[in-house]
Amino acid sequence: MGAFFQQLIDLGGPLLLGAGTTVAITLASLLVAIVLGLLLALIRLLGITPLNWIIAAYVEVFRNTPVLAQVFIIYFSLPYLGLSIDPFPAAVIGLGLNGGAVLCEIFRAGLNAIHHGQREAALAVGMTPWMSLRYIMLPQTWRITLPPLGNYAIALLKDTAVVSAIAAPEIMFWARNLVTSTFQTTFVYILAALLYFCLSFPLARLVERFERRQRAWQ
Amino acid sequence: MSSFKEFLAVYAENWADWGPQIYAAIWVTIELTIVAFAIAVVLGLLLALGKLSPLRAIRAFSTGYIEVARGVPALAILFLLYFGLVPLGIVFDAFAAGAIGLGMSAAGYIAEVFRAGIEAIHKGQREAALAVGMTPVKTFRYIILPQAMRVILPPLLNMVIILLKDTSICSLISTEELMLRAKDLAMMSFLPMHLFLLAGVIYFLLAWPLSLITRRVETIMQRGRRQTFKVN
Repeated sequence: MGAFFQQLIDLGGPLLLGAGTTVAITLASLLVAIVLGLLLALIRLLGITPLNWIIAAYVEVFRNTPVLAQVFIIYFSLPYLGLSIDPFPAAVIGLGLNGGAVLCEIFRAGLNAIHHGQREAALAVGMTPWMSLRYIMLPQTWRITLPPLGNYAIALLKDTAVVSAIAAPEIMFWARNLVTSTFQTTFVYILAALLYFCLSFPLARLVERFERRQRAWQ
Repeated sequence: MSSFKEFLAVYAENWADWGPQIYAAIWVTIELTIVAFAIAVVLGLLLALGKLSPLRAIRAFSTGYIEVARGVPALAILFLLYFGLVPLGIVFDAFAAGAIGLGMSAAGYIAEVFRAGIEAIHKGQREAALAVGMTPVKTFRYIILPQAMRVILPPLLNMVIILLKDTSICSLISTEELMLRAKDLAMMSFLPMHLFLLAGVIYFLLAWPLSLITRRVETIMQRGRRQTFKVN
């Protein structure tokens, strides 16, 4: 029994370290994705045709290609253009650009779901377009988009596993390293899977609560 | 512009070498997607029925499986299947591990899709079918499932796209699919930009038509629902 715990500590330590990086990559990518997605969704609201086309093309391309391909292109191909990049920022940029495309669609659906009378009323009482966006549109959009946003965050957390392929030091990367050094293949991969589950399960419960609350509003 | 032509010329130069390998890899990617999807649908349907089962043990197992499958990255499942079971004497080849792993992972989502579809059907439908003498199996097959398909089909098609993209991670357990081929060729030729872009374009050409079809099906299904609503 003591040997088991010793092993658990020896293998769990590096994996926990990886979990820290996994969380950091997830949060940083989520931030990039939210800012980018919201920005693109708002630009689409302006209704400038060429811009709409560009954004639509961006969304289609990033939603219809694998994240792994996107991360590889950023990591292995940018040095070609004379830009060298570390695994961590490459992972954040890749996952963030991918998430921007996903969230653009989510925010757009959220903004479109708000009755246009809300905006018109805000403008009619003398709010500037910015104020109507800031105080009327966005708070309501936020409420609608929270559940899909939460689901995206869970998907993102799991997608971070693929950036082990470019040696970003997250859970799967450490798991692979530990396997080569200790040969405890089964134990290490089960621990890694368990760690992901411990991270995503509370998030899933939180999203469920958002969803219940939203049903109560409706 | 000339540098762009040079960029494209590299493809023309190497195509005799790359082309056949890439074609073969595309087929593996497609096969992997189909097999994984088939596994996911069968397993997902069983899990959805399990979650609606009157037996508590079956319900608990289904719920547990769905939670775990949805909470763990597909990559972790693949590694566990392909590398992690070897010490226990269970050895899959890379294709089988990829297809089974992706299928097991997707089954968690598909189970929820099926469950939502089945629960969306008014329980009067089931009761009426049973009342006219249909067996539970017949009720499910002829009354519940056809109506549930309306809710189920769009997310199911969406799952095909997700699986198609996710097959790329099978390259990390050395399944001989498109991404692995692209990576190998990139290493050999020192042309990563060309090969990863090529892989990206191929994935896009496979996935985009599916996306367009899915969106089309989504609108058709919604149109149907509105009509039913009016008739009632």
